[in-house]
Amino acid sequence: MAIQIVTDSACDVPPEFAEKLNIQVVPVYINIGDQSYLDGVELTRRDFFTNLPNYAKLPTTAAPASGSFSAVYQQLIAEGATEILSIHIAANLSNTYNAARLGAEDIEGAGVTLWDTKQITMGAGLQVIEAAEAAAAGATMPELLALLKERREKTHIYAVLDTLEFLRRSGRVNWAQFGFGTLLRIKPVLEVHEGEVFQKERVRTFKRALKRLIELVDAAHPVKRIAVLHANNLQTAEELQEQAAYLFPPDQEVVFMEITPAIGAHIGPGAVGFAFISK
Amino acid sequence: MAQHEKSSTLRVQEKWLQCNGRQLRKLSKAGLIWLEKNHQYVNSLNVFPVPDGDTGTNMLLTMRSAVESIPEDDHIRVDEVAAQLSRGALMGARGNSGVILSQIWRGLAKGLAHKETFNAYELAEAFQQASETAYNGVMRPVEGTILTVIREGAAEAADAAQKSQDLRFVMERVIERCQQALERTPDLLPILKQAGVVDSGGQGLVYIFEGMLRYVKGQMRELDRLAVQQANVTLAERSAQELAAPDDGEIENPYDVQFILMGEDLDVVEVRRQIDAMGDSTVVVGDEKTIKVHIHVKNPGEPLSYGIGLGLITDVVVENMQLQMEEIIQTPVQNNNQNGLNPVTVQPGQIGVVAVAAGDGLSDVFRSLGAANIVSGGQTNNPSTEEIFQAIQDVPTDKVIVLPNNKNIFLAAEAARDLSEKEVAVVPTRTAPEGFCALLSLNPNGDLTKMASGMHEAAQQISTGEITRATRSVEIEGVSVNEGEYIGLVDGRLSASGQEIEKVLVQMLENMDMDAREIITIYYGIDVAEQEAGTIAAQIEDLYPDVEVELLSGGQPHYYYILGAE
Repeated sequence: MAIQIVTDSACDVPPEFAEKLNIQVVPVYINIGDQSYLDGVELTRRDFFTNLPNYAKLPTTAAPASGSFSAVYQQLIAEGATEILSIHIAANLSNTYNAARLGAEDIEGAGVTLWDTKQITMGAGLQVIEAAEAAAAGATMPELLALLKERREKTHIYAVLDTLEFLRRSGRVNWAQFGFGTLLRIKPVLEVHEGEVFQKERVRTFKRALKRLIELVDAAHPVKRIAVLHANNLQTAEELQEQAAYLFPPDQEVVFMEITPAIGAHIGPGAVGFAFISK
Repeated sequence: MAQHEKSSTLRVQEKWLQCNGRQLRKLSKAGLIWLEKNHQYVNSLNVFPVPDGDTGTNMLLTMRSAVESIPEDDHIRVDEVAAQLSRGALMGARGNSGVILSQIWRGLAKGLAHKETFNAYELAEAFQQASETAYNGVMRPVEGTILTVIREGAAEAADAAQKSQDLRFVMERVIERCQQALERTPDLLPILKQAGVVDSGGQGLVYIFEGMLRYVKGQMRELDRLAVQQANVTLAERSAQELAAPDDGEIENPYDVQFILMGEDLDVVEVRRQIDAMGDSTVVVGDEKTIKVHIHVKNPGEPLSYGIGLGLITDVVVENMQLQMEEIIQTPVQNNNQNGLNPVTVQPGQIGVVAVAAGDGLSDVFRSLGAANIVSGGQTNNPSTEEIFQAIQDVPTDKVIVLPNNKNIFLAAEAARDLSEKEVAVVPTRTAPEGFCALLSLNPNGDLTKMASGMHEAAQQISTGEITRATRSVEIEGVSVNEGEYIGLVDGRLSASGQEIEKVLVQMLENMDMDAREIITIYYGIDVAEQEAGTIAAQIEDLYPDVEVELLSGGQPHYYYILGAE
């Protein structure tokens, strides 16, 4: 039997891929005030981003309970899984990996192997898809881990934020170190690579930032897989894709993904970007 | 009330040698209730690992899930209660502290396995298991957190059980020791000390244990009546139920007040002292520009007025804890960042930037973009080599880039560079907008020489327009100017002149290649009224609808307007 792949909702594997490749997605929690919602189950992305600017307090996120992971692993074992590969968003940026690790400790009867993508949203999701396709083709666990190691090094996210307000309030970045000016309007271009979030550039206009995004992907060309990410900004995401169409592998369907509120809460609506694995 | 107290709690005089399942269930409920009452305070302490203010909420949701999974059966065994607590916590755990809390219950359940009741020795053993399991629950255990609190509590349980088999005595000792461990967390974790708080997760755990002890001591009389098991009741409603039957009278300071104070040269220690005198549960954290305040008071006006007296206050939240009326006053997310200048801390080894600027507004922009030091000066007020040298020396790093932002200051900047033993580069920016453009491309961790040439290149991408008055009559490149007339300079070259400032400005813009520009930033000088500048900005927007226009007060002398077009 093929190795079963498990992931969390913050990896943003598009539902059609999850279904086709039989990937189990464990939802993370989104806390809004004193209420807690399961990502994608109790709270849709559309609803979240539409309401985001109006929440009195900035929503926060929390990892799934370790018990949720054990329950999913146990269910899969009951259905006949003999090996499980559980792939998650960056362990240094979220507790999700640790919750999965604790959940796996309770499991008997099958091996659960964990993988830290050192990425977020589809930077992680693309690794999940790569692994799931290889698993479906019969790859062994050592082969999958070797593949993921190679892919992880080549995975990048470049994104531009429309506002700095949410990042500032999230407390997730060292603001002073990023040197974000709050007086001039700035559109920061961020990079996520190997568990680190960098400010790649500070640009004055969104238009110029979009141009820089394409230049950055172009510099890493050719790409093996690529997806366009957005936070309630499909129109710009589509325009961006159109301009960057030459960078997309011709044999793949173009993927647009509205990002998880787990990340969206920190970067605010309007953000767009690319997640890709270079060849 | 007094009769009810006797019937439902343990009698104070008797020794308590065995705890049964029903009692353990009540203890956990009491812990939940006390955490629920105090979880907002726990949220306000949250600075580690991420200051997102939800530790209390996450622990509460975890604890609630744990307690709610215990069945209401009066003959339940201790091991069943512990197993349900553990299972419920594991299913409901969220957040770092929630995960650790769930591990504590899990360890406790391991320690209490196969036991119908437990005694002091068995409790001590279970505490030891809880501590070990909690440490295993994190990938890199950090001291000065909830982990330290549970570890010391476990050590105390073992000690106390040697001295007395009375569970009440053991609990008192454990909680006292946990409280002491909590108070020492700032000594173990520098970020807590810096923020002037104890660890939030540790505080949450102490509240749970304290709640249990309050029940044992008969201070939580209404426990049986509380509807802890109603999963769908919201927190606010729940708290209102409890508060309708307060366990020990009215809350002394019923208003929970939180706000962010922004200002200049704020004294955190002094603010903390002043605020603390107004009530209890004080948390005052921050730096000289931004301070977060949390306090429980009788009169919410008092801390708010105090804050307004020191600067700008934002993110105001006032809650009446007595009625649990949620957020009477609040500031929406977008409206709180108008004057937020963030302090820039340059680390040794990084590149620090010294910028020369004339005018408060321009200085603020440089600072907000990450300049480590500002030298005041400009066109008619060139700073001395000595001043620039001193500014270079004052930056706490050995790598410094100087932005002179005026041609007349190049030489002084270069002389200062030669005087300093530090690695210094001068990027020859001729105007403030060029300086901003250069500074935007700074990566403080880059190589100094490469960064300087990159910044120089970036500065070329902007065109600067300046409006001032002619100090004498002159004719240059076909433009004739009379003394006292307005003149427009594009990148230092005379390009327009006239009696009316608006006409000069429009004429000047025609020489600034506006078709290729995306954004124009207007810095108006100290001699221009804000409203007047607003009118000009609107005019430019009308003339160039495809260009973004941003207006800022530059506060510069001599130049009515400085424009950066890019």
